[in-house]
Amino acid sequence: MADLTMPPIDQPLLYAPRPYWGWVAARLFRPLLVRMCTAYLVMLVLIALFVPLIANGQPYTCVIPATAGHAAARDYPLFRDLSSIDWILLAVAAALAAQGIVIFASRRLARPQRMMRRRISFAIIAGITIITGSLIAALHHNRLDATNYRSLARHGLITHAVFPPVPWGYAEMEPLSKGLINQLPSHRHWLGTDGDGRDELSRLLWGARIAMGVGFVSQIIALVMGIVLGALTGYFGGVFDIIGMRLVEMVESIPTFFLILTFVAIYGRHILDIMVIIGVTGWTGYARLLRAEFFRIRNLDYVLAAQGSGMPLWRVLFKHMLPNGITPVLVSAGFGMAGAVTIEATLSYLGVGVQPPTASWGSMLNSAGNPATVFRWWQALGPGMLIFITVLAFNLIAESLRDAIDPTTMGRR
Amino acid sequence: MTTYIIRRLLLMIPTLLGMTFMLFAVVRFAPGLTTGGGQFSAGIMQSRQAQKQEQAIMERRLHLVDKNGHPISLVMQYILWLKSTCEGHLGTSIVYQEPVLTLIEQRLPVTLTINAIAMAVIYLVSIPGGLITALNQGRLIDRGYGFLSLALYSLPVIWLGSTVLGFLANPQYFNWFPSAGLHSTNTANMTFFRYIADYLYHIVLPIVCSVYGGFAFLSKQIRGSILENLQQDYVRTARAKGLSGTTVLTRHVFRNSLLNLITLTGMSLPGLLGGSVIIEQIFSINGMGRLAYTSTLARDLPVIQDLALVVSVLTLLSYLAVDICYHLADPRVTYG
Repeated sequence: MADLTMPPIDQPLLYAPRPYWGWVAARLFRPLLVRMCTAYLVMLVLIALFVPLIANGQPYTCVIPATAGHAAARDYPLFRDLSSIDWILLAVAAALAAQGIVIFASRRLARPQRMMRRRISFAIIAGITIITGSLIAALHHNRLDATNYRSLARHGLITHAVFPPVPWGYAEMEPLSKGLINQLPSHRHWLGTDGDGRDELSRLLWGARIAMGVGFVSQIIALVMGIVLGALTGYFGGVFDIIGMRLVEMVESIPTFFLILTFVAIYGRHILDIMVIIGVTGWTGYARLLRAEFFRIRNLDYVLAAQGSGMPLWRVLFKHMLPNGITPVLVSAGFGMAGAVTIEATLSYLGVGVQPPTASWGSMLNSAGNPATVFRWWQALGPGMLIFITVLAFNLIAESLRDAIDPTTMGRR
Repeated sequence: MTTYIIRRLLLMIPTLLGMTFMLFAVVRFAPGLTTGGGQFSAGIMQSRQAQKQEQAIMERRLHLVDKNGHPISLVMQYILWLKSTCEGHLGTSIVYQEPVLTLIEQRLPVTLTINAIAMAVIYLVSIPGGLITALNQGRLIDRGYGFLSLALYSLPVIWLGSTVLGFLANPQYFNWFPSAGLHSTNTANMTFFRYIADYLYHIVLPIVCSVYGGFAFLSKQIRGSILENLQQDYVRTARAKGLSGTTVLTRHVFRNSLLNLITLTGMSLPGLLGGSVIIEQIFSINGMGRLAYTSTLARDLPVIQDLALVVSVLTLLSYLAVDICYHLADPRVTYG
């Protein structure tokens, strides 16, 4: 007779049990294409965070030579002229790096200690970032320095100048007298110049910040709204459900792009407005998906156990139920990111997006000329390719995530 | 069935009320509308007297004041606006100086025709595509088609549209296609078939640009529903009683999979209307989308408001029609 008893509990397992998310990640990142897309998007986020240090007209550092009455002095024009947004994003980058180090350093600890350490460090780092961020934002500072440091360096008025790899700001125009507008790629401008004599490469890099910023911020807004509404309607059902679903239908009944145009027409075209508008028009899908998941989950034993043990509602909803219902929402969020990047580019292309001279891939496409008369396709190529690859990367990752969590493909490699 | 339709209609009422209130509030709380007199004179210099008169008319029209010039409360404003809208008195455009209804009447057929053709093309490619990929699940053709359609879906219309226009309808490169509009100038003395040919020639590029993104979603859904149906018991029964593979596929699986298409069609309707903004703007077609865009730029709020209203009512009605069609097509579906 076969031995049907369980092995004793203290016997070591032959393989380490894998947590769900680790298993999903392993399946998600198996295809090479998905790994390449992830690498590309990480690179784009890094560019978005650090772009003032990569493409800027001011040198990192230079020396103002001694003149009569003044000793030689070292100056840091680039850092002196960073705007508050730049500083906040640099602080965010530092915080992300610090948290990454903590996660890496604590990876071999047992789970309770590991989670504790990560949580504490997250709280500390987030606190510091928020405080420094709001301090910096309070001392608001815009880019003001319009000095042409390249010409100063050429004429010896500053020495030992170290310029960023792309020594052009996004709004820096070549003087009209030089006739350097609509240039083909050259040694001076690696990707040529646009109709205002601005460096295309620099504007492409700065455009990454707009695209990524709009994508992430708008989708975070949409996710928060959709998750809260979907969780409440799905958990309570009844009157909550009827009201919530009418709200969803209300927003869904107007085609998204119409709705966005309406909002943009009325509430302005500042980049923050656009983020919020794309966010508040894009949450309905998430709410629907999460509602359906919560309907399924809410009568499972572990949820009843959590309720029975007297946990507060938010803990039942967001700590016990949400992790088990979030995966379809995450897939949808991947497609949502792609959609947000497209919508921002389209709005800017149509001239109702971010305002000039801010560099956005959409407005760069628009400035490539009126296609029916003068079409400078080389100017449209860069922003077009970047939008295409970015959107494709988000879509591919979302699709791969959908396959990774799909139970019907479980057995196949 | 009747009960279901009545219930759906009743549920539409709060949605419609909420949606109209949202549109009303969005426009009413717009900065610089309620007091701005210059807003309505559309940039024409007028005497102070005329300006005042015009503003009074405008305030009256927007139900900001009653007959005697006393201000009306916000809720009453909404109710009055709703009442006049229900009676068919939509707003009047500030820019065109024409009733919005007239503008919509002129432009809705244009947009609907183009979208209908585009949708037909999408289905003509997606249905065979979904069928072939489902039958070759996991093989190279399945993956290739999946990747290709996803790549097409990701290709931004603003780039492809302007590039296609810039190369194929541009005297600088190839002047093969017309760059704007839907008709040549001399339509008056064309025969009927000549007219149709001219129309088709004009919409080639717009149609190409509006269809290529639609393949991915639809083929993927069709593929999914065919795969699902292939595992059903009735397929095994059909095979067991000796039907050929083709018959099982066409008469059983395919027909059942097409049921899902009804839902998908309804779901894609609002997207097509929204997507037409970009296509119509790039190819200078005077449809609903272009109207929405130009009035956005001009802050022509009555047009924006009523356009959104009309489009969303159409959308809600099409959702309802889809549900009813689904019910008629599949007697198993019950709405308890």
